Amino acid sequence: MKDIEQYLRQNKPETPDEGQFIIETNARLSNVEGIKGTVDAERHRGRLMLVIALVAGLVIGCLFTLFVVFFPVPSIETELSAFSKAIVSLKEWEALLLVPVAACAIALGVFLMNRKKEVL
Amino acid sequence: MTRERFISEVRACQGQLRRFLASLCGDTALADDIAQEALVRAYVASGRFIGNFKAWLFRIAYNCFIDNLRRVRQPAADLDAPEALHVAGGEESDASFKHEELQRALARIPEKERTAIVLHYFEDLPVKEIATVMDIPSGTVKYYLSVGRDHLKQYIRL
Repeated sequence: MKDIEQYLRQNKPETPDEGQFIIETNARLSNVEGIKGTVDAERHRGRLMLVIALVAGLVIGCLFTLFVVFFPVPSIETELSAFSKAIVSLKEWEALLLVPVAACAIALGVFLMNRKKEVL
Repeated sequence: MTRERFISEVRACQGQLRRFLASLCGDTALADDIAQEALVRAYVASGRFIGNFKAWLFRIAYNCFIDNLRRVRQPAADLDAPEALHVAGGEESDASFKHEELQRALARIPEKERTAIVLHYFEDLPVKEIATVMDIPSGTVKYYLSVGRDHLKQYIRL
């Protein structure tokens, strides 16, 4: 066993010269940094779009709720429960309800398009 | 880890890393390609690195070697080929010939035994670090070293 161990230690290959290796490594790392920068920027954009979509949805939803609260339908005020009133109000203002839904859909569409670009 | 620090760490162990890979795959150009791939992977993951840089880098390089092996399944060495049966004789046994003979012998033993032998005898890594690099228990490393030595003895005339 000692013989083979000695043989292996004595015939250890020499370490190759640094030569072009570090230069090539540096060039590859520069490329990696470039790609990393682009990916980070895209991710940041994606997160920003998500936040914008959420804020837009929240603001429009709040505005619509306030609108429903401050402008109730007068004719059925006394006959229905609070939940039913909300349903009736929603029915009354269904055209207006389409606006925040559409806004959210557009924001979501923009966000998804952005995500798709990121993946590509 | 900053890029400057990464490069200085790589500069310190690139020779050993490339020798390790060259001994594993028997082709210096392929070894350098695998080393570059390993360095890129290591750089991308360097933010999460803690501990022994050399062992960590060797582990990544070993994984890259295994990936490469899976991608390009190399045919097993032909034991009847004249060059495979060639053994060192008195006057012929100069240093370069011995290196070639050793390289041929290494190519003929299983990959795990080869890795353990190369890390232990060429890179002077202790068993514990080899276990970390290969992600196996220390006892298994000792087994591979023992069996690997026995296999090498069949192909090398001492």
